[in-house]
Amino acid sequence: MAVFHRRQVLQAAGLAGLAVLLPPELLAACTTSPAPAGGGETGRSLLAFDPHEAKVVEEATARLIPGPNDDPSEAGHPGAREADVTRYIDTMLGALEPRPPRIFAGGPFSNRAGWPVDDMAKFLGLTPAQLSGWTRRLASFRARYREGVKTLDKMAGGDFTAVSTEMMDAILAQDPGGFMTLLFTHAIEGMYSAPEYGGNADLVGWQEIAWPGDRQPRGYSDSQVTLSDGPDLYTPKGIGAQLLGLLATSP
Amino acid sequence: MVLARAGWDVTIFEKGPNYFTDLGSERPGTVFSNDELKMSRSFSLPDPTSEPRVFRSSPQAQPIIGAVQSLPQTVGGGTVHWDAKTPRLWDIDFKKLSMLGPVPGADIADWPFDYAEISPFYEQIEELIGVAGDIALFPKEPTLAHAPRTKPLPMPAGPPEYSSLVVSEGCRRVGLHPFIAPMAINSREYQGRPRCDNCGFCSGYGCPILARVGALAPLREALRAGAELRAGAMVVKVETSGHRATALSWLDEDNELHRESGDLIVLAANAIETTRLALLSGLADPYDQAGRRVMFHWFSEGSGIFLSERLHNYRGRDHTHDIDDFADPDFPGARRAAKAAGLPYFRAGKVELGGTQLPLDEASSYQEVLRLLVPEKPFGAAFKQLMRASLLRDRLCGIELIGEDLPYATNRVDLDPTVRDWRGIPVARVTYGPGPSELAAQAFYMPWLVKLLKAAGADVAIAIPELPSPRFPIAQDQVPATEHVMGGMTMGTDARTSVTNRDGRHHHLDNLFVADGAVFPTSGGHNPTLTIMATALRQANTWAST
Repeated sequence: MAVFHRRQVLQAAGLAGLAVLLPPELLAACTTSPAPAGGGETGRSLLAFDPHEAKVVEEATARLIPGPNDDPSEAGHPGAREADVTRYIDTMLGALEPRPPRIFAGGPFSNRAGWPVDDMAKFLGLTPAQLSGWTRRLASFRARYREGVKTLDKMAGGDFTAVSTEMMDAILAQDPGGFMTLLFTHAIEGMYSAPEYGGNADLVGWQEIAWPGDRQPRGYSDSQVTLSDGPDLYTPKGIGAQLLGLLATSP
Repeated sequence: MVLARAGWDVTIFEKGPNYFTDLGSERPGTVFSNDELKMSRSFSLPDPTSEPRVFRSSPQAQPIIGAVQSLPQTVGGGTVHWDAKTPRLWDIDFKKLSMLGPVPGADIADWPFDYAEISPFYEQIEELIGVAGDIALFPKEPTLAHAPRTKPLPMPAGPPEYSSLVVSEGCRRVGLHPFIAPMAINSREYQGRPRCDNCGFCSGYGCPILARVGALAPLREALRAGAELRAGAMVVKVETSGHRATALSWLDEDNELHRESGDLIVLAANAIETTRLALLSGLADPYDQAGRRVMFHWFSEGSGIFLSERLHNYRGRDHTHDIDDFADPDFPGARRAAKAAGLPYFRAGKVELGGTQLPLDEASSYQEVLRLLVPEKPFGAAFKQLMRASLLRDRLCGIELIGEDLPYATNRVDLDPTVRDWRGIPVARVTYGPGPSELAAQAFYMPWLVKLLKAAGADVAIAIPELPSPRFPIAQDQVPATEHVMGGMTMGTDARTSVTNRDGRHHHLDNLFVADGAVFPTSGGHNPTLTIMATALRQANTWAST
């Protein structure tokens, strides 16, 4: 379901009036954000980071998953900054302070696929076993972020956010203490998880990869399951060609 | 269900939480949802930090602590997140020693009952949980020859998945016999539960609309018949006196100890946790048998990448088609390859045709791949290009081979001497490695996975084992990625080589029974859950009449 692309095509063709042919819930998914207002530096209230840490994390994750302003080749393609990955990570690190904790979103449905209310916005309580695990896990993550930001700053000669993007990339590529790997893992989560967790703002993460996200209670029709969507040729190039080459030579 | 209906006063203890409301009612609710992050955060699994297990590939190997063969720890158990494929085991699985013969080094055994004896219980379970499929389309050889059927399944098959159709066509081109797999997913409204709406968050996810239930079906019947369910209650000890189990000690969520006496005690916490409880309780075990012969199925994954189209594998059931050819010990060439490996025979098992990963898993794959391809900058625009091309999600068709594990006395579950869970209770330690039979079968069948994917039109096809071995060091994980756990409290007639009898009764405790995969004497080459349920139903009928 290429939600994003269909809408773009409509707009590009100047036929936005035809959008009325799309199911209303699909249009809603295209145009509204179920996530609380966020993004940018203004009005952000941080749960776990101090403002400088948040800034370092924002700049670093924008190198890992760059958006249009971070890498010229990504024009038209939102990245970690646009998805507000920093808010996702801050929400996760501070997840145990709100009650209920922001660990497990509720269910069974969000309001993105034909249901009037967002059950997923109602987070669930934790069992003592889950609380024990998450308490230890998040304490470890927080210590690693505190340490990791300090290390990035040190490697940048004082302030990671003040150096060139080339320098940022060179520092991150060294993966000091495994911090880049941790950041990348969490940036991926913030980019492509449900917006209730604080990232994927305006669903840009899902739209960017033509991913429909949660589908209940609408689901898919039988023909959408059984039939081909039609040809969609991928011509191997760049990193995609490299990946195919790697796989083709696997033992 | 059987006991509650027979008038017993039944209490069910579940260590994990209850994610359902009003289970006894017509329309239960649930908080399971289409949420990849939630499931990756161990929503329904034991938290690997607070409730870890330990894995060793041999007694000498470095122990790994964390998630080990994790199954849901929640009301509904493994069938909360199962793919709901419900094949039956074959006649040769129940009478493996008699029909196929011994394998040096392995404890090949017969089950205490045969296919004909369990067949009526298969039928009852298929009716109870609602299996969809068309037996007229099952291959006569080998499937129906080894697992004959007399009755149609209660529901017609659901819609076939496009990628499963594509790979099935490839299978036919190389002489294999694909068919729509039987599965306990509603193809129409069934017993008040809705038809599956193809949402796609299936294998590994709790069903948000209860179109797929499994063990919840008999649980709901038990509750309606008066059984009491206690979630968040961990049984830590079976108390015994002479040849009787007298009571259970259990901890509530605040770690307060309680005691519940009973006339009949049934353990069904899955093969690993049931064995752990038996060992924690110090149940009589004069021949050191508890925990031995644990079996997991060696899985191997094939991946086909299609450049001409997106396969939308993320819609519908995980996959809809299977082949059984590789479960046949007489598959062309298999006997000869076994002989060359010094074995009397070997088998693999069924192959599931179709399936893919969702975006978080896909992104993690690229995170790994970029380290290999661009170590100088393993992130950035290259990562996003991969996500948009979606070679490892939307253009991927996965297939999975379920390989039969033989029972080895050295593959076992015991208590770890040092690692404890958050409550301070020793955790289960798994010591497991493949034998010559598993490795030879893997070497023989892995190339077939590539062959059938190529025949289906995959531009690139690879096969990767999920069983680490010296022969395949590129296995994905150090811990075998399998969720089929069997053995450890095996059924048998001889107390020197088994733990329970044909009714699941403990050899040394007259009123203690085991009713999960722990009792399996052999693993078969198919998903075990239907057989776990049919075996439990068969046994429960004997208990109810005691």
